[in-house]
Amino acid sequence: MREFMTGNHAVAQAVKLCRTPLIAAYPITPQTPIYEKLSEWEASGAIKGIMMRTESEHSAMASCIAASLTGVRTFTATSSQGLALMHEMLHFAAGCRVPVVMANVNRLMSAPWGFWADQLDSLSQRDTGWIQLYCENGQEALDSVIQAYKIAEQIFLPAMIALEAFFVSHFMEPVEIPDQEAVDRFLPPMNLPHRFDMEKPGFLVPVVPSELYMKYRHMAQTSMDSVKEVAAHVDHEFRAVFGRGYGIIEPVMMEDAEVAIVTAGSITSTARLAIRALREEGHRVGLLKIRYFRPFPREAIQQALRGKKKIAVIDRNNSIGGGGIFCQELRAALVHSSDHPFIYSYVAGVGGTDVTPEVIRKIALNAIDRTGPVDESIWIMEE
Amino acid sequence: MKVYAESFELVIPISYESTEVIETGKWGFQKPEPIVMAAPCEEACPAGNPIARFSYLAGDGQYKAALETILKENPFPGVCSRVCFHPCESVCNRNQYDEAVSVNALERHVFDATVDLSPKLNPAPNNDPKKIAIVGAGPAGLSCAYFLALLGHRATLFEARQEPGGVLRWGIPEYRLPKRVLKKEIKRILELGIEMKTGVAVGKDISMEALSRFDALFLSPGAGMSLPLGVEGEDLTKVWKGTDFLNRVNSGERVRPGKEVIVIGGGNTAMDVARSARRLGSSVTVAYRRTKKEMPAIADEIEETEQEGVRFEFLVQPVEIRLLKNRKIRVKFQRMKLRKTSQKERPRPIAIKGSFVMMEADRLITAVGEGVDISWIPQDLSEKGFIKSVPSFVPDGRKIFAGGDAVDQQRSVVTAISSGKRAAISIDLAFRGHDPEEVFSKIRIGSKETLSMEAYLNGREMGNWGEPKGVVVYDQINTLFFKPSERMITGRIDPGKALKGFSEVHTGFSSEGARLSALRCFSCGTCNYCYNCYFFCPEGIVSFDFVNRTRKVDLDHCKGCGACSRACPRHVIEMRLIS
Repeated sequence: MREFMTGNHAVAQAVKLCRTPLIAAYPITPQTPIYEKLSEWEASGAIKGIMMRTESEHSAMASCIAASLTGVRTFTATSSQGLALMHEMLHFAAGCRVPVVMANVNRLMSAPWGFWADQLDSLSQRDTGWIQLYCENGQEALDSVIQAYKIAEQIFLPAMIALEAFFVSHFMEPVEIPDQEAVDRFLPPMNLPHRFDMEKPGFLVPVVPSELYMKYRHMAQTSMDSVKEVAAHVDHEFRAVFGRGYGIIEPVMMEDAEVAIVTAGSITSTARLAIRALREEGHRVGLLKIRYFRPFPREAIQQALRGKKKIAVIDRNNSIGGGGIFCQELRAALVHSSDHPFIYSYVAGVGGTDVTPEVIRKIALNAIDRTGPVDESIWIMEE
Repeated sequence: MKVYAESFELVIPISYESTEVIETGKWGFQKPEPIVMAAPCEEACPAGNPIARFSYLAGDGQYKAALETILKENPFPGVCSRVCFHPCESVCNRNQYDEAVSVNALERHVFDATVDLSPKLNPAPNNDPKKIAIVGAGPAGLSCAYFLALLGHRATLFEARQEPGGVLRWGIPEYRLPKRVLKKEIKRILELGIEMKTGVAVGKDISMEALSRFDALFLSPGAGMSLPLGVEGEDLTKVWKGTDFLNRVNSGERVRPGKEVIVIGGGNTAMDVARSARRLGSSVTVAYRRTKKEMPAIADEIEETEQEGVRFEFLVQPVEIRLLKNRKIRVKFQRMKLRKTSQKERPRPIAIKGSFVMMEADRLITAVGEGVDISWIPQDLSEKGFIKSVPSFVPDGRKIFAGGDAVDQQRSVVTAISSGKRAAISIDLAFRGHDPEEVFSKIRIGSKETLSMEAYLNGREMGNWGEPKGVVVYDQINTLFFKPSERMITGRIDPGKALKGFSEVHTGFSSEGARLSALRCFSCGTCNYCYNCYFFCPEGIVSFDFVNRTRKVDLDHCKGCGACSRACPRHVIEMRLIS
């Protein structure tokens, strides 16, 4: 069924389709419509389960962790400051190996105060052990929630779906809502091999000796590494059932490209148009969309960018003192490539500023004109 | 679906052992200590009424337990809650927040709600019971007998009148204190096994010497003699003594004071006389030599007296009363003015030379104070018209004590009750050979004179009394946990209706009014199981036992964070450094 809806409501639809029995959340702009929609459905009985209106995001995540350990599927949604407040519990979620799924609507980090799109909030949580997916539009957000459950529940690591404030969260687009029965077949009821048991009370997070701690961390790393394989498999299966797939990364017009533009999130859709125009002007420009940030799809990226002369990474985020974060990771991934392409970091769209096709054209031409390496990020902003 | 982690236990450690073995309590340097503090109201109440505790029980609807709690310290909740000047309310910590708790009215509801129940009184065991004679069965004598009985002694009351009660029976009118209330309370006291000899006047029907067969003696004959005005014409039959008038009214006699009545005085007796005369159809004027501000009567009494249509003439003092030919009297009043003396003392009235005012009336009733009949008291026991007060003397081995209005102390029912309690403890201590002053300093509530019977009983067996309870000050109340609320007031019958008879003026609380009033109590220094410490304890180691009314902290696992102490609204938990 096709419906005209916002990215937020697409996420809520996905949660409903996944029959998540425990939702714990705290409202925050621009995520609130997800919370409101789920609340509405809880009240009307459209979703069966409990919606916990916790006193903070920290408690929301704590609730999800505890509920997940009893063997149920859980969901939360947040944004920006809310995600930052969850930070401690994010580590706990990964450390406790709970397959919690969260939607984070990318909103700038204060101060100054603002509500606009910026990926710094979720990227700041990159070391917490969560799977991270960045979505281009509402349809992808909906599909990614379903995929995320399927991946997380096999790997036992939590997963975060990131969608940008307003550009995805509030833009209305036609969204295909999958059939409930098909989703039920694709995503069977959750069945953890072990769960909290009232009959056999246990205590999680006991003190462990250093050596054991290191082993547990290593196990989590190994599990995270296996996500690439599982995610590819799940996406393949999803395409077979629902007719849509996204891959871990998506190369667009890359075969003959000399210059590759790399994007994540909503800028990708704009870049799809921009490269077509650049090609008409005679520039051999391609596009690489990075969908998974954690685990970082190193091998797939190396393969997709092999032989390219110049790479222009557009980041709607900036790590102060470091630069665009996707670019940092990408440079690290390509450090051993034999042909040493020039990798340019462009910081654009920060704080919700508009990244138009013209901005992308400007970035592409800037990269084409350059003849040598640039270490620092190049900021694309109003003079 | 392929599961990539074969066993959950492999990817995350779970312990099935309790972490209780880790004594996290050893990490702390301070521990919460439950403390029991007194509320300012309890310190101010001469009877030492455990107000915070009974309020908590009343708020919880446990009226019988509330009554039993009061009865540990005061045998007269029904009486006090009707006639007391309630000093408790003026010191209520809630005054500094919004308005005082209606303690007096709440106590009345506790009495009214339990009027058909039999509270359980538990006299303490006593292997060596003594026999004590008590002269005068007013509030002081009855209280002394009551507490002696609770201490396991055998008291015998000698009452000159045909019924016990003293001023409560013969002085205070029915509309303030219904006789059924008094009867109920006296019955409860006497049921403790106290012998009551009515119609026996000591010094007339039985001599003082005859009482020496008792192990101790308590003298509480009261002050029943109206003091004379000392003016010409006072002997006229048109002039009545206030106490005689009230006595006749309270005896059920049909008294007709006349159409126009002048009452001289500004105390509670004057108010009782004026209001009684109004009820007997008189038009009444109260003449007082100071102003309204200096009147010793309870403020509420003055207000109600005014509401009942009694006129007030201030700054006048009678100097002459004359009988007129038309059988009326003419009273000549000297006009007065006030001169301030010191901050502490009341301003002194001084005659304005040559300024007089005349008033005509059918009757003049005096109520300028009451004296003690000490004609039958051995000289060495009296001083300046009073009986020497307890516990100042135990002359030549005779254990003689005194209290109530017959000794030089504040004249109020609750003070009389207090002196009865003090005497009972003094008598018990005299038999046990303890110095009463030393013990009193330990069983006081706060720093005032009020004694706690509970504190006395706690140390009585071993002869070791702890330190007196401190008093919670307003700053120690965590007011964040209280909402501002209005003071609950009780109903009164319409003044017009009130004057038609001697029905009780105050109608008391509804049960909801009482409940809301009780819930307003800060419960200063007394745990009322509000759960704050339980909820705020981050370790979850505070537990309550509701059956035995105890709160426990698992100190082996208390890190001493102090959250419970901070969150306690009523200052019953104090953090103490571990030495």
